[in-house]
Amino acid sequence: MRWLNTRTITPLLFMAPVLVFAIVFFFLPVGFSLYISFHKWDSLSPPEFYGFTNYVYLLSKDPQFYRTLVNTFVFAGGTIAIGIPLALVVAYSFSQSRFQTVWRSIYWLPMITNIVAVAFIWKFVLNDAYGMLNRGLALVGLPGPGWLTNPSLSMFSVIMVFVWMQLGHNMLLVSAGLQSIDDTYYEAARIDGAHSGNIFWDITLPLLKPTILFLLITNFITGISYFALMMVLTEGGPAGSTNVTSLYMYNMAFSDLRLGRASAAAYILFALIFIVTLIQLRLFRRGGVEAHN
Amino acid sequence: MADAGGIVRSRTLGSRALTVLKYTLLTIGAIVMVAPFLDMFFGALRTVPERLARPPVYFPQTPQWDNFAQVFREMPMLQWGINSLITTLSVTVLQVTSSAMAGYALAKFEFFGRMTAFRFVLGAQMFPFFLFIIPMFFILRYFPLVGGNDIFGKGGMGLLNSYLAIILPFAVSWHGVFLMRQFMMAVPSELLDAARMDGAGEFRIFFTIVLPLVTPGLATLAIFVFVYQWNEVIWTMTVTRTAPNLQTVPVGIYLLRGAYVEEAKMSVQQAAIFLSILPVMIAFLFLQRFYVRGLTAGGVKG
Amino acid sequence: MSLNSKVLLHSISAVALSAALAVPAIAQDTKTITIATHYNQENIEPILACYTEYEASHPGIKIESQQVSYADFLQTIVTSRVGGTSPDIYNIYSIWAPQLVKAQALAVPPADITDWIKANYAEGTVGAATIGGQVYGIPTELSVYQLVYNKKILAEAGFDHPPATWAELEEMGAAVVKKNDQGVITTAGFAFGPTVANAVHPFYALMYANGTPPFNADYTATNLTSPTAIKVLTDMVELYQKGITSVGNEVGQFVAGGSAMAIMANWQEGGLKAAITDDFDNTVGVAPIPHDAGTPGGTMLYSFLWAVDSTSDVQPEAWELLKWLNTPAADGTLSCTGAMLNGMGALTGSTADTAAMGDSLTDAFSTPYVEAVASGLALTQPNNLQEAQIERILRTYIEQAWAGTLTPTDALTAADAEIQAVLEE
Repeated sequence: MRWLNTRTITPLLFMAPVLVFAIVFFFLPVGFSLYISFHKWDSLSPPEFYGFTNYVYLLSKDPQFYRTLVNTFVFAGGTIAIGIPLALVVAYSFSQSRFQTVWRSIYWLPMITNIVAVAFIWKFVLNDAYGMLNRGLALVGLPGPGWLTNPSLSMFSVIMVFVWMQLGHNMLLVSAGLQSIDDTYYEAARIDGAHSGNIFWDITLPLLKPTILFLLITNFITGISYFALMMVLTEGGPAGSTNVTSLYMYNMAFSDLRLGRASAAAYILFALIFIVTLIQLRLFRRGGVEAHN
Repeated sequence: MADAGGIVRSRTLGSRALTVLKYTLLTIGAIVMVAPFLDMFFGALRTVPERLARPPVYFPQTPQWDNFAQVFREMPMLQWGINSLITTLSVTVLQVTSSAMAGYALAKFEFFGRMTAFRFVLGAQMFPFFLFIIPMFFILRYFPLVGGNDIFGKGGMGLLNSYLAIILPFAVSWHGVFLMRQFMMAVPSELLDAARMDGAGEFRIFFTIVLPLVTPGLATLAIFVFVYQWNEVIWTMTVTRTAPNLQTVPVGIYLLRGAYVEEAKMSVQQAAIFLSILPVMIAFLFLQRFYVRGLTAGGVKG
Repeated sequence: MSLNSKVLLHSISAVALSAALAVPAIAQDTKTITIATHYNQENIEPILACYTEYEASHPGIKIESQQVSYADFLQTIVTSRVGGTSPDIYNIYSIWAPQLVKAQALAVPPADITDWIKANYAEGTVGAATIGGQVYGIPTELSVYQLVYNKKILAEAGFDHPPATWAELEEMGAAVVKKNDQGVITTAGFAFGPTVANAVHPFYALMYANGTPPFNADYTATNLTSPTAIKVLTDMVELYQKGITSVGNEVGQFVAGGSAMAIMANWQEGGLKAAITDDFDNTVGVAPIPHDAGTPGGTMLYSFLWAVDSTSDVQPEAWELLKWLNTPAADGTLSCTGAMLNGMGALTGSTADTAAMGDSLTDAFSTPYVEAVASGLALTQPNNLQEAQIERILRTYIEQAWAGTLTPTDALTAADAEIQAVLEE
């Protein structure tokens, strides 16, 4: 009897810290921000019930909000479109190379660097006239554009910096996926006389589907909720070209004290993330792939 | 990949070309990865006249090592470093402990609501952090009975302006719980049952049998959390804007940027940046094998 | 895990947790006054010395200085206000005052301090610290925008005087431009940006110079769609279109010869002098902002003020300290604040400090600034409720016009619509 008793109590004791945390730092915040998203609140006076006004304002009146949403999706889409193929190619080369520890250490350097350092490093590299990149381009006679000062180029630059940061991480996930592919597949293919190009397209890529799905989903969620780099590197500029929704929300809350509207913005963005992730999962399920386990 | 044309060449020639291509690619990538760091390193060693020259001198003629010393003279680098260590170590310890305990319960016990709890742990990872910034700030602010607050959370500043404001929101990570659950699954149940037969208490089993078995997993999570937390900026900045004595290295450097916008002062700033990366870089070089395991364990089950 | 590492883990966690829990204890017998300013270490040095001196002569008072970047300052005050962690004293930009007063963040000074301010400060600066008839702080820095130009760069192209009209400015600007082989402008004729201050303030200054303020008198509407506003922005954009400057050229590059001209405030004097140590007076010149025939010209001025937080529990001590910091120790000497401002090259609203600054106000760099204030041509920057947010919005549209993604008219029309919504809120 005592044994049975401990068996019921023990897991609860082990779960206790996490349960308390879940209540105080998960359910409470999620509920609280939903609550204030229906209020007008500057935190200095009591919240005033606002109904759907905050949501309606953002979706129908605020021209900035749409601009930031577009920027957010361009950023997330851009990091995936450039980052994942790049990670595939680099990981493919990496997994068959020697000196893996050396390569790995090098490719991980950006990933373990704090965002303030990343931003400040690139601010210098991307400087218009005297940055390392444009000086390098000058050596080969190419014109150096205003990477961070030209509003039509700045988002691209931010995406590239982010891809640079994340490449090591993505590369490693892919190479883990590559290692888990059974060698017998390759053996069989070689015996059938397939050459390396075919092997990559016909065997490696299909077997990597779960890895790619995982990368797509995690990179998408990261990309769409990300704003640290924009905050520190471009402050959303120039001309608002790198102002993403989460950064817009942050400034709305902590500069203008429009906490209700900022929470509504957070919820709208969260809803979009949720929907797109579900679509991604469905598409891949149809392709016969399960994510996680 | 290289043979997209479809011409069947001799296998050795083709694979040799492919090898060359692969190494070229890896080398170019490696240069792109490292060059920006070198750019900053040279910058940190430049003199003021070298910076102000047009065009600026790229390779410093007499490296100004003193710029690094100046960082410590001008910025509260030591204080920031201590703050970074305190918060990062605390978060690491709390997260590893809470994740190991919950992961163990989820992996090795049958109890009411276990599947719900596990699904929650998976689902909660989908909630982006920006959703929590505003409410979490006010929860800490109105935390009852601390920092001058009464039982209704009014009157003081709550947990803000204390290390706990930086630490508590990261005390548990759902990803960490999930990761530890995966590691705990591999612990043989027979071993636990045998220990129970011998009359060992549940907590003794956890500490003396389970934890030693999952040490690699703990190390993996620990290095994961350490790197993440050392580099955390958004939240720490939000709660330490008005508490310079609690700011961490990256946050401190960022918030002092206004004093270093002038070209003449930039070398010192670049030196500070370099110093902010160093601790993680060193820790990582020694511990990276644990990181690999963490990425793969938390990632895909192929 | 071995026993040793277990013990280690436990002790680390114990140390970390106890450190975390040890919220700094505040001793009961000393009162701590926290002061937040946006000045950098070099600028603030004279004041820091005064803090030490004050602590020595006033046992039981401890002064903590917080430096906050100008770009983060308002956000920091707001966050600290919301978090209940406000500093006791802050040095704020006058345009933030209405918003802070509305949030009831600023303490009303005691009557004797108010009288002292009115008696010892120039009327215009007291006005900038007055909201709804109530004085909220002690005026400090007074800054004015003028045209700053590099004499040597202009002389190289054959000009021995600064431009007086926009047409002249364009002509001179075009003549001095240098590009590298890739076509990147390395020496621009003129520079704007990239911060809010370096985008919006030159625009405002040019509007004043051309005779129209950016807002109507009671801040219910903007003048952003007025012919003057459109002319000013069109003029700016022409500099970009004609290759006299580019979005890559920034005000900050002036010091290294990256641009021949820029619209800058007088407080930049300290930084410019620190970097251009050689032959300063023959390198840097200051002139009124170029404007076109028919208007007397003009520019914009702004001010900062020392204010006390309304939730501070050491308000009497704070005001006493502030009065001490702003009172000269003897006639003809500078107060602590005055010494700091003088070091930066800023002007002050204090009549005693102005007198004591003497020579440093009559040097070649300062004279055009001082004259603009004295003649009344420099007008106070708009002081409406959401000015900080309005300037953020306006900056975005001005930048779009510079970059050529919007025409000046379209940019200003869109900015007007968005700002009008803020004004009406």
